[in-house]
Order: sequence, then structure tokens, then C-alpha cells
Amino acid sequence: MLESTALTGHHDNSRVTTRMPDRMTISAEPHIRSGQWEDALTFVAVNADKAAYAELFSYFAPRLKAFGMKMFGNEQQALEMVQDTMLNVWKKASLFDASRGCASTWIFTIARNVRFDMLRKKQSRKDDISADDLWADGDYPEQEDSSSDKWETMLLSEKLAPHFDSLPPAQRLVMQKVYLEEKSHQEVSDELDIPLGTVKSRIRLALDRLREALDDTRS
Amino acid sequence: MTHAVKYHPGMMLMEQYVEGTLSADVALAVATHIDLCPHCQRLCQDLHNDHGSQLAQLEPALSHNETEFEQMLAFITEQAPQQKPVKRVQGEMVTVTINNREFKIPRALSRMAQQHGKWLQLGGIATAKLPAGDKLHVSLLYINKGTEVPNHTHLGMELTLVLSGRICDENGEYGAGDLLINSPDDTHTPHTKADEDCLCLSVLSAPLKFNKGLVRLLNPLQQFFY
Repeated sequence: MLESTALTGHHDNSRVTTRMPDRMTISAEPHIRSGQWEDALTFVAVNADKAAYAELFSYFAPRLKAFGMKMFGNEQQALEMVQDTMLNVWKKASLFDASRGCASTWIFTIARNVRFDMLRKKQSRKDDISADDLWADGDYPEQEDSSSDKWETMLLSEKLAPHFDSLPPAQRLVMQKVYLEEKSHQEVSDELDIPLGTVKSRIRLALDRLREALDDTRS
Repeated sequence: MTHAVKYHPGMMLMEQYVEGTLSADVALAVATHIDLCPHCQRLCQDLHNDHGSQLAQLEPALSHNETEFEQMLAFITEQAPQQKPVKRVQGEMVTVTINNREFKIPRALSRMAQQHGKWLQLGGIATAKLPAGDKLHVSLLYINKGTEVPNHTHLGMELTLVLSGRICDENGEYGAGDLLINSPDDTHTPHTKADEDCLCLSVLSAPLKFNKGLVRLLNPLQQFFY
């Protein structure tokens, strides 16, 4: 947050007002907190939050450039990769699904795909194999229920954390593994020895309860 | 899936696939294997997570790009974000029909499989080229029930992914999702059983020999498999 001031400082201040107030308490902490980038992506997804995006950018752009330098060995292509990757992060933030991995994993897959397609374009044919063929994760084709996904990412802003305790134990356990221990649905399914469908439905049920709980606190 | 996948890509192939450094032809076979193999799906997720944390922990290069980065940031945030997730068209499972049999094609292969070339048939065997390959020859290979593929020695690398059905050779039996890799000089005689046919994805490296016209003419079988 603090380190992004240099990048955001020259812009007008209007965007600051778009930020949700409770974010201030979260971002007051200068250290990289677990969940920080996932939160930032959520704010970008939910209200195109430029300040949250600037934070992400100032952290990841220089690292992506270092990654690009390693892969391409030249600065021009490395910067091209940084720009394409970060543009995708901005545009596709609503596709980010925290239950399928953390923000850095998602950004890595975007960078990898951008790089792959950049190299393929040199020998470009329309029927050529593209990153979309090879890696399904980038655009999350399994996404079925965008409203529940939105809620999943909203959870990370910790608003709902106090309501966790009121969940039925089975749902709470699944939620804890997915959100606090950052396990994939598949891992939770294996670990608890319950079908993947059950994991998903317990999450949906728990989200419904939490949504209710939140509505109650609002009214 | 009733059949458990037994033959997986090695760790090195998986690593290169996740990094995006594997040749596209081979990556296509690995991606299709992963679609069919829950074990490798998890492994793949783990590798992605690992690379994600590596990226996050990367020491940023001492940057001389402050201005460029500022311009980049300004440019990006002027663009309209996608409000709604763009979904891939769902529910339309791509199928391939050969010998009056309809085979479902895994996601990774579906776009390429839709563009397959004409089926060339020889006895119980049929092949159809996919447009994918640049250095390697990528094709669908169908083997009817009770058919033996003539004994052959590989002049290059042969990568065969079983998409459906079952095939056997001197070394074992392979079912849907199994990935066989034969290196040069491996000799084998693959065959199907009397009651089950087989559809495979075949990726072959093409030694220069095959591209010379005369050898092709002298060896129609070699030409057929390419």
C-alpha cells in the first residue's frame, strides 16, 4: 500500500473515495499479509478499484519483469509480457477464483500463457495450438455460478469471519480448509474422504448462511 | 472413471508443461492426459501453486523502469474491465466419429480434433492428421477390435495417449488416459483385443528421412503413419 504511493500520487484523488472504508484497516498494515493480493483482486473485480490495482501492480510488475527477463533474456519482450499480463489481471479480475489457488498462482498462469502465445505468434497459424488449449485454468471454464463465486472472494475481506462460528460443524470444517488453509476443493475432498460434489455443496450452503448473516447485520 | 490411469508423464514433462517450455505438440498430449487423469490434475495444481509462490518471492530486478511502469499503469487502468466472466461455451462435448463409433474428445484436444484431416484407412487402422504439429506429427489413430499394428521400430520419439478403449503391446495394457512414450530403437507390436477398439492421440517426431520423397514411396506404411 505505502509503496504504491509513488505510482498513484500523480493521479487525481477521486479514486480514493471509491475504496471501501474497511479496507483502510486492512491496508494499514505495511507487511504482506496472507490474503492481501486476493483481497486486492476482489476490489478490482467488484468495483474496478484503481488504488487496489496499483498495489498489485507495484508489487507484481517488477517481479513479472524479472521473470520475463529470465524467460526471454531481453527487456523489450519482458516488458511486453508484463504489460499484457497486468492488463489481463485488470480486465479479468472477476474471473479470479480464490478457491482454486492464490493470487500469485493466478498471475503466474496468466504470465505463462501470455509468454507462450507471444512465442507461438512468431510461427503463427490460426489452427495453431494456443495457451487456451493447453491450460484450462486461465479462464476458469468450470465457473457455473458467478454470484456464489463473488461471495467466495468477498469472504476474503474477512467481513464474514465472525459468522464462521455459527456454521454447522461439517460446513465450518470445509470452509476452514478452503479459506483459512487455502486448500483446493479436491484436496478437501480427499482429506475428509467426502465426494467433491459434497465439498462444493457444503461451501454453497455455508455461503448462503453467511450471506443471510451479513444481510441481518446490515439491516 | 472406472479405469485408473497407470501411465503418467514424468515429472520433467509435467514441470515443463506448467512452465510453458514444453514443445506445443507434446504439451497438447500432456494437457489431454491431465484432462483424463485426476492424479495429474492435482499434481499440476501443486506445480502451479509452487510457481506462483516463486513468482511472488522473486527478487525484483533493480528497476530502471519507473516511468515505463507509471505509463503502463495509467494505460491499463484506462481500459474497461470485463464486468462479467466470459464463459467458454459449455455443454457441447466435441466428438469424433470413425468406423461408425462416436468418441468423446477431452477439452484440451477438442479445438484441434475438430480440425482433423481426412481419415486414411488401412485394414483395421485409420489415422487422421491434426493441424497442430510444427516439428512433430500429431494425429488421431484409430485401431479396430482385434487388429495388430505391424511391428515397427521408432526412428524418433513416439508418444501415444489412449483417448478411449484399450490397446496392448509386449509391455502391457493401456487404457483411457494412459500415456506411452517410446524412444528411438524401441520395437513393439501394439494390438487391440477381440472385443475392444481404441482411439489414440499420436505424436511422432519426424526424422528427416521421412520427409524425403523416395523413402516414403519405398515405404508406404511409414507414409501412412505420418
